[in-house]
Amino acid sequence: MTDLLRETWFLSRDRAALVWLLIALISASCAVAFGLGEVASQRATIDRLRAADAVERDYMAEQYRDWGSAGYYTFHLTYDPPSDFAFAALGQRDSSPWKHRIRMLALEGQIYETDAANPDFALTGRFDYAFVVAMLAPLFLILLLHDLKARERAFGRFELLEASASGLWRVRAGLRFAALGIALLLPLILAGSATGSGVAFLFLAGAAVLLHLLFWWAVVAWTNRRGWTASVNLTALFGAWLVLAVVAPAGIKLAVDTAIEIPDGGDIILTQREAVNDAWDLPVSSTMEPFLERHPAWSDHATIESTFEWKWYYAFQQVGDQNVEALSIAYREGRDRRDRLSSILSWLTPPAKLERVFESLANTDVEATRLYENRVRAYHAQLRTFYYPKLFLDAPFTDEALSERPVYVQLR
Amino acid sequence: MEAALAANSITVKRSGQTVLNDVSFQVAAGDVYALLGGNGAGKSTTLLTFLGFLSPDTGTVEVLGDDVGANLKDVRLKIAYLPEAATLYPHLNAYENISYFLSLAKATADQGAIDAALDRVSLKEGARSNRLDTYSKGMRQKVAIALALLRDAPVLLLDEPTSGLDPVAIDEFNALVRSLAEEKRTVLMVTHDVYGACQIADRIGLLKDGELVGAFDRPQSGQIDTEQVHAAFAGRSGS
Repeated sequence: MTDLLRETWFLSRDRAALVWLLIALISASCAVAFGLGEVASQRATIDRLRAADAVERDYMAEQYRDWGSAGYYTFHLTYDPPSDFAFAALGQRDSSPWKHRIRMLALEGQIYETDAANPDFALTGRFDYAFVVAMLAPLFLILLLHDLKARERAFGRFELLEASASGLWRVRAGLRFAALGIALLLPLILAGSATGSGVAFLFLAGAAVLLHLLFWWAVVAWTNRRGWTASVNLTALFGAWLVLAVVAPAGIKLAVDTAIEIPDGGDIILTQREAVNDAWDLPVSSTMEPFLERHPAWSDHATIESTFEWKWYYAFQQVGDQNVEALSIAYREGRDRRDRLSSILSWLTPPAKLERVFESLANTDVEATRLYENRVRAYHAQLRTFYYPKLFLDAPFTDEALSERPVYVQLR
Repeated sequence: MEAALAANSITVKRSGQTVLNDVSFQVAAGDVYALLGGNGAGKSTTLLTFLGFLSPDTGTVEVLGDDVGANLKDVRLKIAYLPEAATLYPHLNAYENISYFLSLAKATADQGAIDAALDRVSLKEGARSNRLDTYSKGMRQKVAIALALLRDAPVLLLDEPTSGLDPVAIDEFNALVRSLAEEKRTVLMVTHDVYGACQIADRIGLLKDGELVGAFDRPQSGQIDTEQVHAAFAGRSGS
């Protein structure tokens, strides 16, 4: 009997180890199932919204037969569908919007109206696959390996085992490591294959999980070499997990947030709303002058003769955006700086680093959020480019012209 | 005749304390050597140095001519070790335990050989397929002894082997050790059972506070005098 076969048989008789491996398999399977369900739900929501959006746009087109009203009353759906691998790490999709219904009004407030705290280093996070492999997998490994030698010492078998075989502990530990790796990776590989995530993604994700487990194996091996009792080992290892998986990420978040201050999304909304609302009471020139500085092409068509004109209204929406431009840029740049600093500091906490790797693979990270926001901005700019000539040149409202109105195009 | 086991002026210190101090003795092949001593005398430490778990600060230990420190892997293949109150795996039965531990030592035995060894230690046939957590302490010890027999090693190191055995089982065990000596296997056992040691040992070494303070040889006929050893053990005299 080879060492591996013998120890596989031995492991198969170790009920405690089997229970932990089963719990690991169930946890990973549940997390994957939950992630698949969430992705399916988000996709279904987007499909439903797209259908509803088309119906509503047609309805609005019949109801409002002038460019100003059409621009004001019509909502335009934008959305960011989850990637094929998003089931493994829902990441920022929990807190950052992945769908917006925007209008031809000031944009920045619309983007940040659902702004929430960045949970990049939030304490525990959502129960998705990334959470299981980052937070729970170290605990499973600790429970499987912490008393590998200490238990044998406690029961007086250690010397007998040592005297009987060499390399036993490496085989025993390696087998438990491999069994845990299979229990954790099998659901991911099955789900990833079913969703068409791609071999490269699954390979990278699997390698990241195994590297993370290797790190914890090294920590466990270090404590096992101390010759401590099982309870001391467990206490020390649980302490290490608490520090590296919970305390350090929380500390890093606090340090990053303190070091890099950014405006609240709420500040952007408030500033913009005040700018827009104030515009009603200010002289027209207070709106049109800053507007024309950015859009000199409409200088010859910017005279406001009556008390209300749509081009004036949309101009002060535009100026609302201009007023919060610095805030919005500060917000985005600050968020990016926080993300970069968090990425560097996450090397200090392997569980947080693994979650970031998964979010990056799944396109659910801060970068994905930034790209989606920029796509919304680009689309909104297309809407303005479409409506401004109609408004400033008094173009006749026709269905043919309306059919040229841009529709948000899914980029992923 | 070359010694099967030799401790050559070994001194062992643990945590700054001298546990063995300049201890020397030899065990001839096929002899049973009993190291007697009270708690903390250094008996188990001596066994652990022969197993290579402890390295002497000075001196050397040899097993069948091999220096333990230099050839640990080879040495261990020649040794069957029976720890004190050996607890084999409680979730496995006698057959599974023996097969597993034999496999660890790269040895094999078929069911017939295992049954023969278990017969030799008088473990009831009906109990052999039961998990060890249903065994008494004495029954578990018998399985461990059977395992040591099946290792078929030329040297047996026994740490308090009769601990936990009832008087009948002790007598059976003592007879078993003598029969092993007749098979030319070398036995080094540590014990504080004066009566049992005198019954089976060819030689007794008396350890006290880490020093070998006495030695008693089996006479040409009969056994080592129990009274004499007991008196030395109790500190009344020595040889």
